[in-house]
Amino acid sequence: MRLRWLKVLVPVLAVAGLAVALASCGGGGGGEEESVTSSKFAPPTAPPDNAQKGGTLTVISSGDVDYIDPGAAYYQYTYMIDGALDRPLLSWPPDETQRPQPDLAEGEDLSSDGKTLTFKLKSGIKYSPPVNREVKSADVKYAIERALLPGVANGYVAAYLGDIEGFKEAEAAAKEDPTTAPDISGIETPDDRTIVFHLTQSTGLTAEQALSLPISSPVPEEYAKQYDAENPSTYGENQVNVGPYMLESYSPGKEINLVRNPNWDPSTDYRPAYLDKINVESGFTDTVSATKKILAGNAEINGDFSPPAQGVKLAATQYADQMTLTPSGGNRYIALNTSEPPFDDINIRKAVIANSDRTALVATRGGPLVGPVATHFIPPEIPGFEEAGGLKGPPDLDFVQNPQGDPNLAADYMKKAGFDSGKCEGSVCDITMVGENQPPDKDSAEVAKSQFEELGFNVNLQEVNGDVMYTKFCNVPKNEPNVCPNVGWIKDFNDGQAILDVPFNGASIVPSNNSNWPLLDDKSINEAMDKAKLLTDPDQRAEAWGKVDADIMAQAPAIPWIWDNQANLASSDVAVVINKFNATADLSFTSLTK
Amino acid sequence: MARYIVRRILWGVLMLAIVSAVVFVMFYVFPSADPAELRAGRNASPQQVETIRHALGLDKPIYEQYWEYMKGIVLHFDFGYSYQSSADVRTLILDRLPATIWLVTGAAILWLLMGLPVGIISAIKRRSPLDRATMVTSLAFISAPVFWLGLVALYLFADGVGKLPIFPGQGSYITANTIPEKADSMILPWFVLAAASAAIYARYLRSSMIDVMSEDYIRTARAKGVPERSVIMRHGVRSAITPIVTLLGLDVGVLLAGNAILTETVFNIPGVGRLVFTSIERSDLPVIQGVTLFGAFFIIVFNLIVDIAYAYLDPRVRYR
Repeated sequence: MRLRWLKVLVPVLAVAGLAVALASCGGGGGGEEESVTSSKFAPPTAPPDNAQKGGTLTVISSGDVDYIDPGAAYYQYTYMIDGALDRPLLSWPPDETQRPQPDLAEGEDLSSDGKTLTFKLKSGIKYSPPVNREVKSADVKYAIERALLPGVANGYVAAYLGDIEGFKEAEAAAKEDPTTAPDISGIETPDDRTIVFHLTQSTGLTAEQALSLPISSPVPEEYAKQYDAENPSTYGENQVNVGPYMLESYSPGKEINLVRNPNWDPSTDYRPAYLDKINVESGFTDTVSATKKILAGNAEINGDFSPPAQGVKLAATQYADQMTLTPSGGNRYIALNTSEPPFDDINIRKAVIANSDRTALVATRGGPLVGPVATHFIPPEIPGFEEAGGLKGPPDLDFVQNPQGDPNLAADYMKKAGFDSGKCEGSVCDITMVGENQPPDKDSAEVAKSQFEELGFNVNLQEVNGDVMYTKFCNVPKNEPNVCPNVGWIKDFNDGQAILDVPFNGASIVPSNNSNWPLLDDKSINEAMDKAKLLTDPDQRAEAWGKVDADIMAQAPAIPWIWDNQANLASSDVAVVINKFNATADLSFTSLTK
Repeated sequence: MARYIVRRILWGVLMLAIVSAVVFVMFYVFPSADPAELRAGRNASPQQVETIRHALGLDKPIYEQYWEYMKGIVLHFDFGYSYQSSADVRTLILDRLPATIWLVTGAAILWLLMGLPVGIISAIKRRSPLDRATMVTSLAFISAPVFWLGLVALYLFADGVGKLPIFPGQGSYITANTIPEKADSMILPWFVLAAASAAIYARYLRSSMIDVMSEDYIRTARAKGVPERSVIMRHGVRSAITPIVTLLGLDVGVLLAGNAILTETVFNIPGVGRLVFTSIERSDLPVIQGVTLFGAFFIIVFNLIVDIAYAYLDPRVRYR
């Protein structure tokens, strides 16, 4: 998904100069950066042996979930809460990053041609009050079908489940009648415990991964349809849950309260669910104060914000046991518009990447602790990362080898592009850049601007609100500027397709809501991606997507500069367990120590 | 007086209609994010975006959208749904209003209690060391940005993070359940919000009192042997306070309309100001419209209250 997760609201008093202090704190950057999982901030992924039941945990957040409705949720922070409320067919235990494990399902079967996915549901899983009954397979079918309603508006169902037979017809039906969930004929429920997905292509592994997201958490039609008939649907505030917790109350932008689900049977679940209650409090926009509150307080953890640079330094130096760093599965990059001059010339693009001091860009977010310098696009711990070159990057691409920039190499590439002086000259060098107007993205854009100017470009940087940047400029190809400096992608699930397909496949370029920001449309890369999507062996997929990543990097469509770490904080009396898939606290495994 | 009030109410309704039209046009015409795309999400297909656009009515002509919106308000008191959270706008605003009312009411009482006596005493003891000290202090409070004052207050006095942790800190209003707890959580925000206004009111009243105390009728009252305390309070303050009443009405109306955003943000008070700020960030037009209309309503009502109060404060004022 587009990088919405790592929303860092830097307060007025944030100190920029911490970058230097943090750089000395965290060690070297770029290719020599040690994996964060081996550092002293490695995330705990299992509860302590003496984990205690009981107590109330408070989650401190700056903003709100995107949608409390699990069918609409498309945000890492919302998944953190959904993980305690809902049980999709498959899910991710805290230490799992390769393949999702059965959750609502007791097992799955993918046919050898990759076109039929069958799940058997566990028995004894019941809804919270007022529904109370046992889950059946038709509930999972309804959960996916209702995602097509404009009142629910799931953002990824078409991208990842669009190959289910009858999907297009169902989409059309939802447009005709937006108050009734359409039938998707390719989802069969031969009995109450079996659900079968028939696909038009062998994209079963992709569908499997997508079914690990909240969309496949069951929804009882007889209860939900009254709410789904409204536009927007009000099922979210009135939802029933099958996880260890249930939604007690939701006040948008203020608070979310979770209590134990009285109908949850622990013998059907791998989650221990130690806490009695979880209160989520929103609105802590001063993240420096919020960081201090968590570190010095009791029974609190952070929710949707990463601590700002000042907060990371405080935690790393004075509260080291209370901070963890987890690869978020996301990247950030500076997209170059390859469809028009000057960046339609690959040598100019390579020059720009060679010249960029990516450690300076990383410093705008707080230094090496917040993530290693990126050398390609698939982040660490996602299959395909090592195959694409790992931390050092594709070895045959000289323009990404020096994280601090190589002006001489950049000059050589500019000369190959026809600029004898080694710098850009002429009116073709007048470029526009549209970035965000809030730090730290604003800071990154300004650093990027200065680096382009070193190479002779005249940069007109316009800083706008983030949503405007996307929906009016960067997401609209005909309005797209030469450079979109504040873009990035975070995985929807742990597969190279989830990182590379939408942002770099030519087929995904659309007139609006476009996320292929470089407008890259390379026939051989597109074909390689289309082939890789159909692979059903995980090792072959990792190999194939790793090669695609390296091939994309060889085209130099963007300057990747960081694979973010997610910093998580906890009070001293919280035995936090981090879910590595989501890079957030796992509320079902976290406990209080006193 | 009754005819005057009715006339003012009718003008108020017309003002609300004009305000709603202006806001509607502003967010429609000027560059802002596309609500359909924001609602659809990052991976949505163009067809999904168009389906959502159609479902939200955003593909209709602007005048039709405005007509539907106003019909909903007038007939059903329905302000629509947030494009972002799908929550009912009326519920969102009414849910946030109590926090803002708490904040503004407490702060208003404080700034009156602090500002008025200081203004009166400064006027009476003009040019004394006390007068100079209070006026310099008031200048400092007027100059200090409210968010800075708020952060300083937190870092000095807030529980958990302050040097002298004697007051509840950021976010304590959310967890407060009883009235004493809510009041306790508001002490720091009240003082922060009241500081600049108290200073302004002190200066205004001082200036107004100085003018009034040099009037002939004040000299006459003294000449007739009226005690000085009565001269000051019954004759001086009563005349000097009318501009303060105007200011109070405007200030309270504007703060209830969302202008306490900085204080609400610093202390994490889930009020109307925070709501409108996040809505503007996300181009959530229904919420922006709703809050603006509520805000305009408060300003109009408080202006009317102020004008009626004039008639009682100043017998020379008569409305027809």
